Amino acid sequence: MQATFRVFALLALALLAAARPAAAAQALSIDIYGPGQNVVNMCVAAPLSLDPAQPAPAAAAEFLGYVQQDLGILPFLRLTPDNQILGGTTLGGVSREQIDFNRFQLSKVDLLMTLGLAPDGAGTRIEGRVYEVGTGRLMVGKAYSQVSKENLPLAADLLCAAFLEALTGNGDIFRSVLAFTKNLGKNVREIFTVQPQGRNLSQVTSLGGASVSPVWSPDGRYLAFSHHGASMHSLGIWDRSKDRIFRTRLPGETITGLAFTPENRLVVAMSGRGAQDIFLLTPDLLKVAETLASGPAIETSPRFDKEGKVMAFVSDRHGAPQIFVRDMESGAERRVTFNGKYNSTPALSPDGKHLAFARMLPEGHRIFVLDLASGAERQVTFGPGKDETPTFAPDGYFIVFSSNRSGTEQLYLTTRFGGEPRLIPTGGGAVFFPAFGPLLTK
Amino acid sequence: MKSRIIVSVAVLAMILMLGAGCAKKKVEAEPMAQPATSEKAGETVKGEDMEAAAKKKAMQAAMDTITNERIYFDFDKFELKAESKTVLAKKAELLKKYPAFKVLIEGHCDERGTEEYNLGLGEKRAKVAMEFLVIQGVDVSRLKIVSYGEERPTCTEKTESCWSKNRRDEFKVF
Repeated sequence: MQATFRVFALLALALLAAARPAAAAQALSIDIYGPGQNVVNMCVAAPLSLDPAQPAPAAAAEFLGYVQQDLGILPFLRLTPDNQILGGTTLGGVSREQIDFNRFQLSKVDLLMTLGLAPDGAGTRIEGRVYEVGTGRLMVGKAYSQVSKENLPLAADLLCAAFLEALTGNGDIFRSVLAFTKNLGKNVREIFTVQPQGRNLSQVTSLGGASVSPVWSPDGRYLAFSHHGASMHSLGIWDRSKDRIFRTRLPGETITGLAFTPENRLVVAMSGRGAQDIFLLTPDLLKVAETLASGPAIETSPRFDKEGKVMAFVSDRHGAPQIFVRDMESGAERRVTFNGKYNSTPALSPDGKHLAFARMLPEGHRIFVLDLASGAERQVTFGPGKDETPTFAPDGYFIVFSSNRSGTEQLYLTTRFGGEPRLIPTGGGAVFFPAFGPLLTK
Repeated sequence: MKSRIIVSVAVLAMILMLGAGCAKKKVEAEPMAQPATSEKAGETVKGEDMEAAAKKKAMQAAMDTITNERIYFDFDKFELKAESKTVLAKKAELLKKYPAFKVLIEGHCDERGTEEYNLGLGEKRAKVAMEFLVIQGVDVSRLKIVSYGEERPTCTEKTESCWSKNRRDEFKVF
């Protein structure tokens, strides 16, 4: 798909420098670390024709919609609407000398994005720029040629990824994919996938019963999940490359969590007639190869960092659910949550340095992020309702979690530093168990 | 058996018809015999149906008792309460009386926990009931457990009264 159009050119060498994450972040001095603080006001100007003699191409409005959809999920960004800008957002042109930044400054806009489009062969040429309103400095400039109608969303993703990279150092969120479980009726839950900006929503399973706890294999080929039928639990595996689903019974009766090791081996929390423990399965999924965590009661929700050095899990071995981590090399386990009586649904950042989890507070479950080295905790969600099952995006910066704050369970995007959670469109219905997969290949 | 009775009644009816055509005196005697034989045959049929029906009714009642009476748990607990043991003991007696019954025990939780942990907790709740029944003499091969965690609430209000109804074991005969 990507081959159908190519990144045409950076507009100027200066833009290359501006796109370097560290430099850009330093120049902007935008502090996005803190819930509800330091929100950046951004305005996307009305798209213009690159040829002043011609009106903007028909693709302009559609492209603008995709850009707004992308930017709309960023928790630290507030999009300023057209009617709040003195004289509106229609500019004299897309480059610096054609823009009256004062109008935007008066409306307290920090960043301004301009879009220019023109017919280009069978497609459209698109130029996108982001300026710092206060200084007029060009922060990002990208041009895409021969963009077909079907590739408009991808061009928007690339432009917004470049912008986000300039701000945070990583723009991968726009090419991430999420799996999740959606309620489709009484006792029916199926697995879906979607991009965080709400695009490419797709139903994976149609098994009836409940398909829950989806996890991706590190290579992105397989999606494993637990299926709850009329009288038993079974393991389901979707082979994404062949779009086939394979189901099998496991040695245990109840499946309470799944994870993949970096070597694509499956780890399952399950029980037979004995205790509920966490096991590494043999590659044929028929037997237990190794017990990874065991206790007198419930051991569940195994999660790994990207390199598989650390496994986080929930255990109520001390009488209530708390989170433990296991060093996979030495086998040493240590408890890492000590505040609160009910800590569960752990998620490790890809680098293994941070642990996101849900803590039950009197007002409901809330998401916390723990620095595993220092033990410092930060509450990143504040309800209302019940926030649970956080999952780190591949960039280790964004976190998606499920919450019933609107009355129905939905997925929300925030960051590991907090920020106003943004709703991820999932097509209606209660949704649970978000799980980030590997990045979509370009 | 039924066919033999039908044949007997038909033969009797023919005899009666023939008798009616032969002599009036015999008409008085023969009709007396007919209801006696017929009634006897009827009683045999009726008796068998009633016994089967009674058995069926008792079995259904036992099944209802096993399935309708749930047991409940405290929040984040899977210990059996005293009243739950009474309910389970009654189920155990019925299961021993009806060895054809097999039972699926479903463990459920309220919504206040988190999904995966609740699946584990639901399993513990189902398993503790299963173990109690086994101790009471029910063969373990007749029991099966499954956990649905918080997936299948019976009550959706956000009150303790409602949550307490969802922290339960259900019993299905299969």
